[in-house]
Amino acid sequence: MPKLKLEDLAAIRDSARRMTSLREGAGRVRITVHMGTCGIAAGARAIMEAVLREIEERHLDDVLVTTSGCAGLCSREPMATVEIRGHPPVKYADLTEARVKTIFEEHILGGKIPVELALAIGSERTH
Amino acid sequence: MIRVTIDGVTTQVPERTTILRAAKFLEIKIPTLCYHPLLKPFGACRICVVGVKKGLGLEMVTACNTPCEDGMEVVTQAPELLRARRLVVELMLARWPNVAVIQRLAAELGLDRPRFTSPVRDERPDACILCLRCVRICEEVVGASAIGYEDRGIHRRVATPFNQESEACIGCGACAHVCPSGHIRFEGEDYRGRPAEFLLGPNTAIYVPTAQAVPKVPRIDPESCIHFKTGACESCAAVCEPGAINHKMRDEEIELEVGQVLIATGYDLFDAAPAAQYGYGRLDNTYTALDIERMLNATGPTGGRVLLKNGQPPRAVGIIHCVGSRDENYHRYCSRVCCMYALKFAHLIKERCPQAEVYNFYIDMRAFGKGYEEFYSRVLHEGANVIRGRVAEVVQAGWSKQEEGTLLIRCEDTLIGKFREIPVDMVILCNAIEPKRDAAHLARIFGLSRSPDGFFLERHPKLDPVATTTDGLFIAGCAQGPKDIPDSVAQASAAAARMLATISKGVVEIDPIRAEVDEALCSGCRTCVPLCPYNAIEYLEAKKISQVNSTLCKGCGTCVAACPSGAISGYGFTDAQVNAELEGILAL
Amino acid sequence: MPYRVHLMVCAGTGCVSNGSLGVRDALEKEIHRRGLGGEVQVVTTGCNGFCGAGPLLVVQPDGIFYQQLTPKEIPLLVEEHLIKGRPVPKLMYVPPEEKVPIPKMSEIPFFKGQRLVALRNRGLIDPEKIEDYIARDGYTAFAKALTQMTPEQIIAEIKAAGLRGRGGAGFATGVKWEKVRQAVGEPKYIICNGDEGDPGAFMDRSIFESDPHSVIEGMLIGARAMGARWGVVYVRNEYPLALQRIQIAIEKAREYGLLGENIFETDFSFDISVTRGAGAFVCGEETALIASVEGRLGDPRARPPYPAEYGLWGKPTCINNVETWANVPPIILRGAKWYSQIGTESSKGTKVFSLVGKIRNTGLVEVPMGITLRELIYDIGGGIPGGKKFKAVQTGGPSGGCIPAGPLLDQPIVYDGRGERRPLSDALDLPIDYESLTDVGSMMGSGGLVVMDEDTCMVDVARYFLAFTQDESCGACTPCREGTKLMLDILTKIVEGHGTMEDLESLEEIGRVVKETSLCGLGKTAPNPVLTTLRYFRDEYIAHIQAHKCPAHVCRELNVYRIDPEICVQRGHGCGVCRRECPEKAIFGEKNQPHRIDQALCKKCGVCVDVCHFHAVIVE
Repeated sequence: MPKLKLEDLAAIRDSARRMTSLREGAGRVRITVHMGTCGIAAGARAIMEAVLREIEERHLDDVLVTTSGCAGLCSREPMATVEIRGHPPVKYADLTEARVKTIFEEHILGGKIPVELALAIGSERTH
Repeated sequence: MIRVTIDGVTTQVPERTTILRAAKFLEIKIPTLCYHPLLKPFGACRICVVGVKKGLGLEMVTACNTPCEDGMEVVTQAPELLRARRLVVELMLARWPNVAVIQRLAAELGLDRPRFTSPVRDERPDACILCLRCVRICEEVVGASAIGYEDRGIHRRVATPFNQESEACIGCGACAHVCPSGHIRFEGEDYRGRPAEFLLGPNTAIYVPTAQAVPKVPRIDPESCIHFKTGACESCAAVCEPGAINHKMRDEEIELEVGQVLIATGYDLFDAAPAAQYGYGRLDNTYTALDIERMLNATGPTGGRVLLKNGQPPRAVGIIHCVGSRDENYHRYCSRVCCMYALKFAHLIKERCPQAEVYNFYIDMRAFGKGYEEFYSRVLHEGANVIRGRVAEVVQAGWSKQEEGTLLIRCEDTLIGKFREIPVDMVILCNAIEPKRDAAHLARIFGLSRSPDGFFLERHPKLDPVATTTDGLFIAGCAQGPKDIPDSVAQASAAAARMLATISKGVVEIDPIRAEVDEALCSGCRTCVPLCPYNAIEYLEAKKISQVNSTLCKGCGTCVAACPSGAISGYGFTDAQVNAELEGILAL
Repeated sequence: MPYRVHLMVCAGTGCVSNGSLGVRDALEKEIHRRGLGGEVQVVTTGCNGFCGAGPLLVVQPDGIFYQQLTPKEIPLLVEEHLIKGRPVPKLMYVPPEEKVPIPKMSEIPFFKGQRLVALRNRGLIDPEKIEDYIARDGYTAFAKALTQMTPEQIIAEIKAAGLRGRGGAGFATGVKWEKVRQAVGEPKYIICNGDEGDPGAFMDRSIFESDPHSVIEGMLIGARAMGARWGVVYVRNEYPLALQRIQIAIEKAREYGLLGENIFETDFSFDISVTRGAGAFVCGEETALIASVEGRLGDPRARPPYPAEYGLWGKPTCINNVETWANVPPIILRGAKWYSQIGTESSKGTKVFSLVGKIRNTGLVEVPMGITLRELIYDIGGGIPGGKKFKAVQTGGPSGGCIPAGPLLDQPIVYDGRGERRPLSDALDLPIDYESLTDVGSMMGSGGLVVMDEDTCMVDVARYFLAFTQDESCGACTPCREGTKLMLDILTKIVEGHGTMEDLESLEEIGRVVKETSLCGLGKTAPNPVLTTLRYFRDEYIAHIQAHKCPAHVCRELNVYRIDPEICVQRGHGCGVCRRECPEKAIFGEKNQPHRIDQALCKKCGVCVDVCHFHAVIVE
């Protein structure tokens, strides 16, 4: 292991941070892939992998990915919810890998919601 | 230099001076216990606490190891300091109530009712008080680090590694010297049977031999000096103000060329310990004459009083003549001086212990000199008991006889023809005077002869008592034979006069009958050199030949006969000359 | 591919001894079984501090906190939380007397009130992976100190931050560093004091186990500031996991060229070695520690000269506590101004405390200086369990003192954390700070905080702490060696019922002198527990002496055991269990009859109390 130079330190920090920044729980974007039984049957696994691939390829470190159970709308699976901090959550349905790409480009990085892919924007209120 | 004020008195001291040192300089007394001037301050006992003014209050520090700072104000007697010191001593008393130095401190501080008892109380007056001076001196000054401490807290104790005899200990006694309670004691070894206090040799590493020593200055004994064992210490040099001590001094060997030598190397005393029947070295209060000389001397261990080991004066003293002299087993000669000094002892003992009985056990009373016989009569009048008979043995008295004396001298009183057993408290042995132990060695160096008794041989017992068979070599004093002071002085004067005569003559007469080395024939084999009884042949390194010293050569002819190449010939006695004489006689 | 979930399994000594490694193994097995190996990372971290609730698991990035896990529950957890995204409520933390669990760690009161500086990385990194440390800005502070700051600037920054020694004495760290820098002698040494001898203290152990690189980085910055070439980390031998982790960390740092010659290609060289302690409390004292490193007997020596001038091997040496070193990198990275805004006027920054004793949430907390005792004990600590009354809190370990609950009758004048001194009426309002704690007669010490309730006997507490310091006394100086033993004997006499009123005066007098005249900090502080309990709980002492009673019923010799005849007959029907179990055969009675204890035979062992199911035995 050759000795570190100053720039090496910064490089290691950046690459290691990408692997571990999630532990700090912060994040700008939260993607929830619904993985109830219906979701998994409809191919949510592949959607999950696509999401993770996008994150890695685009070197994003402020995106959290979590799962949840069935959202209720089983016929429209696979579904995912994208929440950007400070903005209402957006539910996407009938996802494919290509659509995942679009969502990343336009919504997560571009800030514009591809409305044609969205199922609902915002969440219900109880009163 | 910095300014410091102690108890209102301001003075200037060098930087880093401790408060204790500064106080000593101002003659302000601060009590201490574990402090010792030879050691680095340790701060273990905490008795020397003083107060340093800090703001409105006092900060308590130990004086022995706190350095002064510029402008520091110190008080030594404030009530809280006394309270603290008193309690610290009270804590010590709780554990060691009978140690004198702690009791003294308690008295000084006005502590009369100690309140506490420690669960590990030690009531011995010589208990170890954990001042750790012994450990520190062994490490810092002696450099041996043979003693340390083990365990911690209340169980701390001073010990050697693994509680076994330490090989690093050099037996210097420094630890005993600094121990304030006497817990460590240094017991002087019985030097060849003699009690330590009569040692005439060194009894400490640096010592003044006696009060009458000439010159009266201390000497260092390299056998017991710590510096020569560990390379450390040198405390004596550190405290010597004129700087007169130099451990690096070494014996110098100096070569002198002289024409004459006077040998006056004196005598040794017979060692009485092998003569076990007299009990020397085995029984208490049995001394040799030299021990008693020391005891009787005003500068001796008892200040001149005649005392037994238990500090009491003796009730009876027995003086035994001829120990080792006139004896088939040791020396057959008479040591000449003993009868007179034995009588002197009898006289002095009677004078200093009038109650004591004195017994002299003699074979013949040899009072040969001027005033000697008169002195003998006087001593008899003073009440000394003289018993003619050899002493068979000295034994410890059985318990029934202890009221009269602790030792019994068994002898035969030949004048009344009875066997006697005399109870005494002290026995004095008159040891024989012997040739010095290195007489044989000296004789070999100088080529001196010795008489059968081992003393050096004079040229003629009657007519030439100071010269030897070797020219230029003289003997005087007890080296030649036992004699007292007047006789030694006479002999020495005679020898000196003879030597001066030779010197003032300016020339030396050589015997015509002598040997001579032919330089051309001598190959330097040196066969002749050790053969000469007069050490007259010298080997010259530079020329690689031997040469005869004509002044020493007596013409005995040994070398002439021995020389393998015939290089030495008798002067006037060469083969040719002897043959010529023979031819002359045969021609008649 | 980066993981989407990190499972942070606590592997500090506390959780490990409760089986957290088994939980980790179960997690790994289950995750692989369910095919989640590429998405879910299992990370073992150091201590999270909430030791009473271990084994702990924190799921990030959600921040969900699980407690008291066993391998049995893991399959359920993986299924529900990781696959279905439904956190499992029955495995979460439920506050006492509540029903609803608190899922998020940041909302649990124990964690909410804390402010992490020294423990900034706890629970977030694998302590054996240097990359985890670097990811959280590790060694960035050092790089800045080495290449962008001069040594004088570093020292000025530490001074401006107001960092004070966290080992107990609270000496200004920047001033100490300056002294060492200015001292004459080469090479210079820096030492990390990880002896942590206070019984029950585990702040330093936690730092070693959770974030050893923070100490190394602190020492590197210090070495740069003071011009030191060598460092020594002294860890007590009783901390095997801490030793292991710091040694691994040093190895890793060497591998990466962060220790050794020409670090970062400059002419700065520095390396660290580890020395193990050998079981002596006194070796936490700096001069005794130095003696121990040099291979000599661990005895303290008189000062001056101080180690800054004459320390290890006679050279200038800076000794700082583990927590102090861990505070250095954030100060350099984020600036003195940031640090000095935390805490009080005189005590800046945060302090790690071990909160133990009669308290709901036992564990390790880091709080800003100036927090009140009330917040610490009730908000973070969760208050006294079992419905008992809060009686006192003991701070500073065996060298500290006891602060009583309730109004302080002698209204000590106390530093209020804002630069002023005011009379304090209720101990719980005391802001925790170096000065304020000394003002009430206690001290900060290394950060131990023992909470006591009505069932604690203060005399027994004093005796317990004094027994510790007395046993650990090195024995060099008279007052500590003899005085603590005498005081201990007197206290033992009192708890056994043979005390007199003069004994109280003796205790105070001896205690005062031992404090004033002892050679080192051990002796100077050993009497503190006794003196503070005498000051605030004198009536308990008097009860022991005059009434021969221990109000808390702790001192066995003074207890009187009595059977309530009504309860015995009506509830217990005279069952006779106590009679059969009494080792002294001191209980008499027949079946269905009230039983009775013969006081003359009773040896006060308390077995009868334990075996009676009906609580018929009363202790008086």
